[in-house]
Amino acid sequence: MTVAVGDEMTPLDRTVTQEQVNAYADASGDHNPIHLDVDFARSVGLPGTIAHGLLEMGILTEAVARWSGGFDRVVSVSCRFSRPLLPGATITCSGRVTDVDDATGIACLELSALSSSGDRLLTNGRATVRLPL
Amino acid sequence: MPDASHVGRRYEAPGQVVDAAAAEAFAKAIAGSDEVYVPGAVPPTYAAVYCLFPTLYKLFADAEVGVNLAGLVHGEQSFEWPMPVRGGDVIDAFAVITSVEDKRGMTFLTIGHEASRQDGETVCRGRSLMIIR
Repeated sequence: MTVAVGDEMTPLDRTVTQEQVNAYADASGDHNPIHLDVDFARSVGLPGTIAHGLLEMGILTEAVARWSGGFDRVVSVSCRFSRPLLPGATITCSGRVTDVDDATGIACLELSALSSSGDRLLTNGRATVRLPL
Repeated sequence: MPDASHVGRRYEAPGQVVDAAAAEAFAKAIAGSDEVYVPGAVPPTYAAVYCLFPTLYKLFADAEVGVNLAGLVHGEQSFEWPMPVRGGDVIDAFAVITSVEDKRGMTFLTIGHEASRQDGETVCRGRSLMIIR
């Protein structure tokens, strides 16, 4: 694959359900009730339960891996958890190549994730990937 | 509440065994109703389980630091993966408080993480920003 500055990463859409958030709580060990208990979440000022930021980051990292050719090509990922993802909404992860270093075979991307309701969920996203030789 | 005097505190979580079945459940939780991207692979953000949470929970249990969990928000996360992690790996992880700043009436707690494999290779470096309201 030839990669150039300005290339768009193939976007990844995923609708995140409460069942999926519950499964992530069990699989990660993070049972904070803001993710699981609607009444508790509302009591702390949220509109309802919210997905784990790290679940969103897992989907974002998968998007980078799918585009670059595998998990082992992903060197780094970072992001800010700007707005919460509410279960039932779809997250769309996208990205754009900002730098390609032919000497090291490393490409840099800027990433973002939007919800189906227009919220900017993940901002300041960055990734570096190893390009196929 | 955390303050600048806590910078440098270190929390160790040695001997985290990467369980292949637990990593598969984690991958399924990220996939939701979609197919798992790479069956049998340990997703990169599984670092939450072998690196972040085991050390962060020790930090959160440190009564002298006194993090108010009810007001805690995960603000930002970065991960770098120098080497992939596989099922069966045994990981030593640690976290260090790298900065504590008060801004806009909130406390910004930055934590650095590192995890290494049984052969001594570093498998993950991370940085977490926790915002305490």
